[in-house]
Parts: sequence; C-alpha cells; structure tokens
Amino acid sequence: MGDLSDLKEREDKLQGIGTSLARKEDARFIRGQGQYVDDIKLPGMLFGAIVRSPFAHARIKGIDKSKALAVPGVAAVLTADDLKPVNLHWMPTLGGDVQAVLADKKVCFQYQEVAMVLATDRAAAYDGAALVEVDYDELPAIVDPKKSMDKDAPIIREDIADKKEVGHGPRTHPNHIFTWEAGNKDAADAAFKSAAITVREEILNPRVHPCPLETCGCVASFNKATGYLTVYMTTQAPHLVRTVLAMLSGVAESKIRVVGGDIGGGFGNKVPVYPGYVVAIVASIVTGVPVKWIESRIDNISTTGFARDYHCTGELAADKDGRIKGLRFSALADHGAFNSHVSATKLPAGLFSICTGSYAIPNAYARVDAVYTNKAPGGVAYRCSLRVTEAIYLIERMMDVLAQKVGVDKAEIRRRNFVQAEQFPYTTSLGWTLDSGDYHTALDKVLKAVDYEALRKEQAAKRADPNSPTLMGIGISTFTEIVGAGPTKVCDILGIGLFDSCEIRVHPTGGVIARLGTMTQGQGHATTYAQIIATELGLPASDIVVEEGDTDKAPYGAGTWGSRSTPVSGAATAMAARKIKDKARKIAAHLLEVGEGDLEWEIDRFKVKGNPAQAKTMKELCLVSHTGNLPPGMEQGLNAVAYYDPPNLTYPFGAYLCVVDIDKYTGGVSVRRFYALDDCGTRINPMVIEGQIHGGLTEAFAVAMGQQIPFDENGNHLGNSLVDYFLPTSMETPHWETDHTVTPCPHHPLGAKGVAESPHVGGIPCFSNAVIDAFAHLGVTHMDMPHNAYRVWQKCSELGINQRPGTPCG
Amino acid sequence: MKVQLEKSYPMPASVDAAWALLQDIEGVASCMPGAKITEKVDAQHYKGTVAVKLGPASLSFRGEITVLGIDAAARSLHMLAKGTDSTGGSAASMDLTARAEAVDASSSNLVGTAEVTMSGKVATFGGRVMGPVSDQILGQFAANFAAKVQAMQAAAAPAAGAPAGAAPSPAAAAAAEPKPLNGLALMWAVIKGWFSSLFAAKKP
Repeated sequence: MGDLSDLKEREDKLQGIGTSLARKEDARFIRGQGQYVDDIKLPGMLFGAIVRSPFAHARIKGIDKSKALAVPGVAAVLTADDLKPVNLHWMPTLGGDVQAVLADKKVCFQYQEVAMVLATDRAAAYDGAALVEVDYDELPAIVDPKKSMDKDAPIIREDIADKKEVGHGPRTHPNHIFTWEAGNKDAADAAFKSAAITVREEILNPRVHPCPLETCGCVASFNKATGYLTVYMTTQAPHLVRTVLAMLSGVAESKIRVVGGDIGGGFGNKVPVYPGYVVAIVASIVTGVPVKWIESRIDNISTTGFARDYHCTGELAADKDGRIKGLRFSALADHGAFNSHVSATKLPAGLFSICTGSYAIPNAYARVDAVYTNKAPGGVAYRCSLRVTEAIYLIERMMDVLAQKVGVDKAEIRRRNFVQAEQFPYTTSLGWTLDSGDYHTALDKVLKAVDYEALRKEQAAKRADPNSPTLMGIGISTFTEIVGAGPTKVCDILGIGLFDSCEIRVHPTGGVIARLGTMTQGQGHATTYAQIIATELGLPASDIVVEEGDTDKAPYGAGTWGSRSTPVSGAATAMAARKIKDKARKIAAHLLEVGEGDLEWEIDRFKVKGNPAQAKTMKELCLVSHTGNLPPGMEQGLNAVAYYDPPNLTYPFGAYLCVVDIDKYTGGVSVRRFYALDDCGTRINPMVIEGQIHGGLTEAFAVAMGQQIPFDENGNHLGNSLVDYFLPTSMETPHWETDHTVTPCPHHPLGAKGVAESPHVGGIPCFSNAVIDAFAHLGVTHMDMPHNAYRVWQKCSELGINQRPGTPCG
Repeated sequence: MKVQLEKSYPMPASVDAAWALLQDIEGVASCMPGAKITEKVDAQHYKGTVAVKLGPASLSFRGEITVLGIDAAARSLHMLAKGTDSTGGSAASMDLTARAEAVDASSSNLVGTAEVTMSGKVATFGGRVMGPVSDQILGQFAANFAAKVQAMQAAAAPAAGAPAGAAPSPAAAAAAEPKPLNGLALMWAVIKGWFSSLFAAKKP
C-alpha cells in the first residue's frame, strides 16, 4: 500500500477532476432514449396551437372563433378576454416590464400571440388555429430603433405610455425603456481632449437567434382534486420558473412542480417565461386536463428569445504609441415590443461594463439606451452572460481600429495595453475586479504555435501582388470573459439572489446521489459534477448519480446560463462534499482512535500520519456512517446541502487567432486556420471542455459569417426558417485547433472559472477581425457582420478589386 | 414588403368599352384569377375573396375593396383592396389606380399603377418572387379583362361590324370565370418569364 503504482491505480479508478471521462449522459442519447418534453404524452392531453399576428403593429377589432370551434376535435379557443377573469392576460417580464400573454386589443410585433386553440390532437389544433378570424386595423410600425424616439414616432406601448419608468429609471419618451450608464464621463471626456490619437467606429451587433435544435414547449398538468400543478418544460432555470409561476398563478409554490427533463440545447433561449407556457398552464388549470404546447421552428425563431440587436459606437483615446487613455462606448439597444430582456435587477444592460476587456484603461464611460420597436421581445443571452458578447466584440474590434490608426501590429497593440500578470486582482475603471489572468503568456503561446511572423510575411507578399486572386486576413482576439453570476450583492432576478446549491446523499455502499439547482442542456453536468465529487470524496465517478431539473427533488438554484454552473454550482458541489468529508474524518478518527489532526487524506481514504497501514477508506466510512458505531452524539448518515454565494464573478480569458482567405471575385471567405487558446482555470473534464469550445466556436462562426434576423420596413420577419437562417453543419464548419493555459481562480474552491461561453464571446470578434484585416491595407477599418459571401463581395466591388485582371467590365 | 407596379396592357376594344367595364367592380373582380365579390355593401364598398393554391398550401384571402375615387374625365379608377389570409398568417393590400387610355377607335390601353404590401408568412416566404408573381397575376388579369371587354363590346353592338377575328370565343368567355390561381402553372410562368427576361437583357 502506498507505492506509486498503487496510488495511480486508486486515483484512476475515481475518474475525478482532470480526467477525460466519457460523458455519462451520452449512452442514453445515442440510443435515442432521451426524454424531451415533446416525448411526454399524458392521458386526456389537449394540444394547443397559437394564432399569431401577421402584422407588426395593428389594432384588433374583433376575433371570430366560430369557424375554429366547429372543427372536429377543437375544445376551446382562448383569447385575452378569456384570460382576463383570472388576470393572466398580461404577465411580468424578467426585465421589469409587463408583456401581453395574448394580445390585448393590439399587436405590437409580427407573429405575436393572439389566441390559443385547444384540441384533442395537434392537427386539429392547427386546423382550428387556421380558422380563427382576427380583424386587424394596421398601424405604422417602427422597425429602425434609431427612429423609436422621434418626436412623431407611433407609440408602441399604449399600456405604459404615461409611466415615468418601467423598472430601470426615468423614461424620456413613450418608446424609451431605460438609459444605463457606468464609469466617469468627465474623466473619459478629459482623456479624449488631451489624447494624441482618437478613433471612433459605429459597430452593429445584429439581431440573431440562438436557434437550439429543440424548440420551446411544455406540458402543463393541473390536478383539480389535489390542486397540484406539474409543468414539464424546456427551461434552463426550473426553480426560478416555479417562483414566477407561483407569483403569476396564485398556486402555492409548494404545489407547483417544474420538471426540466432533457433539453435539446438552450443557449439562453430557454431562460424566459413565454406566453405559450402561461396559456398552456392556464388552460390546464381551467380544463383540469393536461395541455401540451410545442413551438414550430418558425415560432421559435420569430418570437422567443432573440439576442443582441445592439447598435454600438466605440471610441478610444490613446497616446502616440497606442497606449489607451480613455474609452467611450455606447449602444442603442433594440429590445423589441416588450422589455423581456433577461437581466439582473441592478444590471439592465447586463454585464456590458466588462467592455474594457483585457486592457488597463484608466478612464472609461459606457452608456446604453434601450428602446421599444415593433419586433419580438427578448434580448436573451446567446451563449454569453448578458451583453458580454456585445461588449467584447466592441473592444476587440476597436483594438484593431486603433492599431491601424497608430500603425502598429495588431498583436503588439494588445501587448501594450494588457493588464499585467502581476496586477491581478485588477479592478477596472468600470468597477469589475478581474480575479486572475496571464494575458501575455497566452497570446505569445498562440503566436508561436501558428508562426505569426511567417503568416504576416505571407500576407505582405499577397498584398504586394496585384494578381493575387485572394485576400489574406489574420484576426486576433484576446478577450476576457465575465461568468458565474453571481454574487447576491450584485446579482438577483426578481429579488432572488443568484446563489446556487447542491445536495449530496451518500448511501451505505458508497453510491452517491447529488442534486443541483442547475439544469443541463447538453453541457455534460452529470459527468462534470460527478467528477468533482469523486475527487473530493474519493468515491468512483461511475457510482455517482447527478440529478437536476425536477424542482420537487433538487434544492433551489438559479439554473444554468451564463457559464454559471461550474463557477457557482461546481463550487456548491465541492462545499457540500467537503461537509461530508469533514464528518467522515470525525468517524475515521473515532474508528482509528486518533485525533482528527492525526489523519491525512490520500485519494480515497484517511490514514494515520506516520502509520499508513492504519487507514479507513471512504467506502468503509460510508457503511459505518449508517451503523451505531459513531462518535458520541453524532447522527447517522453522510448527507449535506450547500448553498454557495460566490464572492466574485470569474474571469476566464483566451487568445484566439484566425486566418482567412477571401476570394476577391466571389466574396467567399474560407477559414484556413482557427487556433483557440482558453484559460478557464482548473480543468475538470478536458474532453467536456473541448466539446464546449468546439460548440462555442461553431456558434461564433455562425454569428460572424451568416446569422442575422432581417426585417422589412413594415416589420415583416424575413428569416424565420432554416431556409433563410444560417445554421452551420459539418460542411461549413472550419477545423478547430484548441490549446490552453491554466490560471486558477483564486476565490473558487476548485480554482475553476467556467468555459462554455468563452469561445462564442471571443470567437466572433476573431472572425470579424480576420475578415476586416484582409481589407486593412485598402483603408477599411470596419465591416458589419455577417460576413457572408454577398456582403464581402459588395465590399470587393465597392473597392474595385472584384474584376479579374484582363477581363473587360460588364 | 412593398412592391410598386406600373403596367400597361393593350385592349382590343374601344376606350369607352374598357372604361365601362372598369367601373363595374364586380366585373373587374371577376377578371382577377381566383377572385370573387361576395357582397356589395354599397357603391363604394365590396367584400370578396381571392384563392391561391400553391402546391399543398391554399391561401384564401378575404377582404374588402374600397373605391376611393372614380374620375370619369380621366377614365380613372382609384381603389384600395385589403385582405387577410383566412389562416391568419398573411395579409396583403393593394392601392390601385387603373385607367383606360384610347389608342384608336377599336383599341385602347389598360394602364395600372399599384402599390402592393404584404405581411406575414406570404412576405417572409413569397417576398423574393413577389415581383414576377405579380406580373403573372396581372398578366392573367389583363387577358381576362381583354376577353371580357371584347365580349361586352360584341354583345352590345353585334351589328356594328366588329372584325371577325375579334369575336369572343366561348373559351375566352370561360376564362373570365374566377378560378383559383394554379400554383404550378403560376410557377412555370414565373420561371419562363425570368428566363426570357435574362435573354432579353442580353440582346444588343
């Protein structure tokens, strides 16, 4: 006992932290045994189909249900008037506003929910929905947020037209939602006045949609006899939803059970509470039978949780060497017709103030003005903590703009402005305390891996050759993320702090069940959490079961979004395990008849210091804890619950580099190379991390290269099917090269930071920087996303470089 | 989604005959493929339906026509047609000014300017082909109108010595009856139109 091979064998058996353990959940999924919400069929269940508005802005003059009710199988047609008696025709949003559950006299965006048809099967429900005749009187629509606050702009929200505020401070126009500011404006202005160099750019983060493979839906089942409401639903935050449902419905929270089940991707789309859920729940409460509502793809892209739509302006002031002295970033935020933007109460613009990025910027000022338009509400995250993508996109783009103005290399401008490794913890001029980082090391490792100098030489040669059919671009992104919301002193939703929880029960034979307030949507929680417990308790991961998403079983938590599971719940898991380990240590000391201080932990057992033959394995202690042979006064069992309120957010970072080749004649962009180095602190399961990075990079590629939700001038949605909306497949997706450094988080019990968002947040500007860098020698400083072939070709055409040499024009 | 249309179609009938038909809203509507007036509310207001069949999907617009003005001196009619698809997912409106212009004693031109606005699914999915589809629909309308005005003229003045070739055939009269727009034929016509426009553009 105790020799190295034995230790290694014992450690390998645990498959704990640092092991690339195959995902425990996949055995079920690859056999087609996932249980998604649409797989649930309850006896007597009705199906609900939603009647939606064809207009972006119109008054409802009347609704004729008679033809729909005549369809065989149709049981009922619900409109706002039917929800009024139970006061559920409007609902509060997570953004401090209210939203129409079913349109009340007026529709404010195209595809808005107007009625729900309930029928005995899906086909009858849709047939019925097609026959609900709604009489509309069309009104002029506001599509461009820049026109929302015009003096003569039509008032979108008559219900709150007179309200002085909607949750976030004074309003200056009926279509104004809030203005949020951070930093010191006077100091920033002064820095600009005295600066040698200033740059300014208008940069759009277009409206996009996370578009998870599984659309949203629910099965609501109210039992009239017991008064219990069970809702199976696509949610990333089951406990928060249960609280919202209790507030909305008046049913006691103890009689509501929300079950997450398996979720086919969320990316933020499944955080909010949507009208479809509420109508299904009301319908079940009224009828006493279960009601199912499932979105179509068109419903999903058109109405639930879009992301971004930030119309930004970035300004940097620097000395002649490019050392930044001041930053002024602002954004006009298009929130659609209702402010259902998911945000912490005190953070209406999310975490936009992380926009100083990885750089030491002494003076900064940020401002966001949010307005209503006749578009779908939302503004959820899309694989990012709120507004981090917009903030990091802006700073990473502006670093390139500054480099071009100063005339230095784009890697060098970053080096000159990085927060230095010895400056951590570093408090930014906008108030966040970056926990740990080593930005120079990360960037240098990437530049060396790709032979950056050789790439720049090749680019220079291509630029010098007028006959080169391609343009070559090199993009760099050295981002800092902010994840793990969050400390309850800063972060709450509806007044509930964003702590999280874990309950662990250890069984007599060493099997473990852990229950958490988070909700996996494909992140591999069943594996990652099990590995944390395996290392902490010395019990094999294979025997550890993780359960989430059923509010009757799991302790309260704020759910999974914004890469908060490892930073918050991972910490709660470690803390709960440590409570158990402390108790086990007492039992071991009692059995070995030594003091607790005489014991030391070794992989899976406590041994007596200096007498390693005297030991008790955790497995033995599990059994003993269920007997009478315990220290005097100790209760049986090895169970613990921990609630973890993080002292700070965590700040993972990375250095990415992308090389693109652009066909001057077609505008086609081909990604030659993408090298992604991530630092997420302690790495729990390297394979799960790599999977998350691949996914995040692929979604970054999607946003940068093709995704956008366009509207015409009347507010018609022009991209709500997968014919128009770009979802990359393996055909389009580039090859990803991944790398890492490890800078542990100083305040997390395991040193871990969270990773799933980093590749998305850091990847998007890297692609844009690469595409724009290809045009940099032609004086181009910015091109808005998406960089699809047509738009890039338009730029080539505008610059007059799209003609093959020797080809006559025309 | 808006489209501006300006069209002129030759009519094998006198300007007076064309103008007479143009003022007959129900008669005009019957020339529109798939259209039907279901109710005359008063001289200025009508209710009607338009059916379009596109493969498996049937769009059935129901709506109102409002006559905004009739200018006898200019032989011009201004009307607004508004409709929603009975499946609720789409809406369309057309602001149309149509006038009859004399060419010579026995022929005239039917000139129309219209702004067509579409909302909902029809805009999302049909937006790209809206121009060519409108061309086809209006082309069919003009052909029906021509047949009808010719038949009217012949019926009104059988002894007036109309050219033999211009006599209304039973087939032409039948074409004036409303039928749902056939999606396949429409698509074929659109594709044909697109190809011929391609080659037309290449001509020196």
